[in-house]
Amino acid sequence: MTENIPIWRIKYLPKSLDEVCGRSKVKNRLKEYIKSENFPHLLLLGSEGIGKKTIAKLFCQEFLGSFYEPNFKIVYADVPLTSEERAKARSEAHYSTSKIGRLAGKTITTPAFIHVKIKPFVSIKAMGDVPFKILIVKNFETLGSNQQGFRRLMESFGSNCRMILISHNTSGIIDPIKSRCQLIMVPPVDIEEFKIMIATIAKNENLTIDNETIEHLYKITKGKIAKAIDLLQITSISDNNVKIDNLYENSMVFQNNLIRSLLLMTFKGQFHKARELSRKIQSNYKYSVQDLFLLLYNELSKLPLSTYSLSLLINMIADADFRAIDGRDSDIQISSLLSKLCYYSEFL
Amino acid sequence: MSESVLNKMPWVEKYRPKSMSEMALPSAKLKGHKIELAEELRKFIKTFFREKRAINQKNQSIKSFNRLHGEKEQKKLFKLSQDRVAILLEGPPGVGKTSIVYALANDLNLDVIETNASDVRTKKSLESKLTETVKTRGIMDYLTQSKDKIILIDEIDGLYGVADKGAVPTILTIIDTTQFPIIMCSNEYKQSLQPLYNKIHKLEINPLSSDETLRIIKQILKKEKITNVQEGIINSIIEKNHGDLRGMINDLQGISQGSIGKLNSELINSLHRDSTEEIFMVIRDLFEEVSTLKQAKVLTNKSDVDYNFLYKWVNENIPSFIKLNSELVVAYENLSIADQIFGRIQKNQYWSTLPYFYDLFAGGVTLAQKSKRDNHGFKKVSFPRYRSTGMFSLTANERLVVEKINKKYEISEIEAIQDFLPFLRVLSGTSRKQLKLVSDWLELDATEKKILKSDSEK
Repeated sequence: MTENIPIWRIKYLPKSLDEVCGRSKVKNRLKEYIKSENFPHLLLLGSEGIGKKTIAKLFCQEFLGSFYEPNFKIVYADVPLTSEERAKARSEAHYSTSKIGRLAGKTITTPAFIHVKIKPFVSIKAMGDVPFKILIVKNFETLGSNQQGFRRLMESFGSNCRMILISHNTSGIIDPIKSRCQLIMVPPVDIEEFKIMIATIAKNENLTIDNETIEHLYKITKGKIAKAIDLLQITSISDNNVKIDNLYENSMVFQNNLIRSLLLMTFKGQFHKARELSRKIQSNYKYSVQDLFLLLYNELSKLPLSTYSLSLLINMIADADFRAIDGRDSDIQISSLLSKLCYYSEFL
Repeated sequence: MSESVLNKMPWVEKYRPKSMSEMALPSAKLKGHKIELAEELRKFIKTFFREKRAINQKNQSIKSFNRLHGEKEQKKLFKLSQDRVAILLEGPPGVGKTSIVYALANDLNLDVIETNASDVRTKKSLESKLTETVKTRGIMDYLTQSKDKIILIDEIDGLYGVADKGAVPTILTIIDTTQFPIIMCSNEYKQSLQPLYNKIHKLEINPLSSDETLRIIKQILKKEKITNVQEGIINSIIEKNHGDLRGMINDLQGISQGSIGKLNSELINSLHRDSTEEIFMVIRDLFEEVSTLKQAKVLTNKSDVDYNFLYKWVNENIPSFIKLNSELVVAYENLSIADQIFGRIQKNQYWSTLPYFYDLFAGGVTLAQKSKRDNHGFKKVSFPRYRSTGMFSLTANERLVVEKINKKYEISEIEAIQDFLPFLRVLSGTSRKQLKLVSDWLELDATEKKILKSDSEK
């Protein structure tokens, strides 16, 4: 490693499956797949930020070897299509050639997402000395009705391209997809393994950190490795000796601090400021209205409030969320929610 | 042109200035500094042709070099920077944006190739109309030493969604390849044009002063031999149009040709044009004067402002008029139900519920003010600038940064914006050294660095 990368989470990204922290069961299974040069479609499950994608990518790298580049693609299901991609899908829809029946003269379109992002990759033959291509679809559960489109794709192009679907939970995934995949649960990293990893990084970067602090780091970040390394780096800037207090102080900086201050602002009854802040949050972080309501809800349930007032407030958020789906201008619904919070919080 | 044809022409066309010297020149700003508009444009076009010629000569020798050499040794062709090639005039309607381009072309002996909002401006049609003219000078041009040209893309804010799809990228490529200078005109800021704004300079044109317009109007009246228009009426026309010379000339023609002799102020009022000024008045009246539901209804019915638009103004301006939280909550409750109803009307065509919508967003909001209204002091009415986007979309600058991050660290756009960039902001906010390290490593340029700074400074 000659290049000096200033961002630790990238600097300490594992370079091979062996380097991945912990999770030996998953790793062993994947290694067997590599040995036998074959595997079924996979569905990786596990909570957010524990390294599913990293594991899947490294697996693909080792599986495909030197033909990794042309035979591998990763698709993020939650990123919406750009207008150009949409236009492309529309322009490539074709007219049915059948002269009789239901389809006569109709335009046939596949869902735009599948047409633009999936089909071109899976339908082209694998290059080089590999049994098949590999496609990773991340956040598969966000695809919604587009999941149906995968049913046939996984069968008809299965021999040419294997898919690794990544998702946070199984409940969002339709049964036909589950039955076509091998399910693999990716557990969060063990505390013992976590300790070893952080200790290695600390040694590399000349930090001193004691056992207890590492345990706290694990607790704060809930075992999310990238988050933990981020926090470690921020804390280390002020002091090479990482202490628990500094850790907590810094963790406040990026754990949805803005959402909390938004809530506090409304509790103080400052409507105007709160609205400005909520607009700023939305434009900076590109949260959709639904995202924002959900974040408010999550943050609210962390606050020390009585059950009665909590249920009242949650009711307000749910109502606003519902109206935003119905209404045209979501900004009105957000303003309305904020004004309600401003007013009713006086009585809590 | 024969006399009869001239008489039938609208005065606006008839008296379109032929030269810069005839014009009422509006004042203009470039990046906040005042500039001389005519001088600036003349300079822009002259330097364009001079620099283009120099670059073409250089490129010719490079091309002949490239022809003789292999692919590896190919040299890159020189290019003019985009802000030297194209310029954007932005200003209210009727101040003479189009006229100044034609007048300038006339003065400098150039041809104008124009495309405006009445043309369909899809990618294809723009290409067919402009690309050929901009690239080559045509065989005939070499033979006849024909005039140079200016390309005028008028009413660029009228590029509309689906109908004019792909126009902006096409304009950008035309800017890259053109042999002639491009001048674009627009009335207002539009988000869909952001890629253009990033690349080229924008001249902001102010409305004309009333002295200038009075001079022109008097000239026209003299030429038309009209004497019975009183000074007072001219003044009220000028006042009404807020520096929109075209509007004034149209009004003038309207009253002097329509019913000479019966000129009165009512007639001028009937020529009234909708403008944002009116919305400001409606909003003020709504919050400060209205005290019954009926009044609110009358006010919203009477104004020509689209209700589609008006209720967004109401949303934006509630906090500046209603200060008490208890009243605020009632106002917003009513507005939010109005919005919900409106959404259902749009989705399911339940037009019969429109009256509820009207009453709720206007009367329901303003009558939430129970306490004695404090009508003293000036209250700011602001324009509803903020639009919450339902979809995840990035600005041009953010997209560039995310792309650069992706080169080093593969991560989806959403993760980059919501998770990784906030961390980078915190990290680079700790010290200048960190900021430099991070931005050097990601190879960011100065404008992209701003994205890293924007949050941490506050």
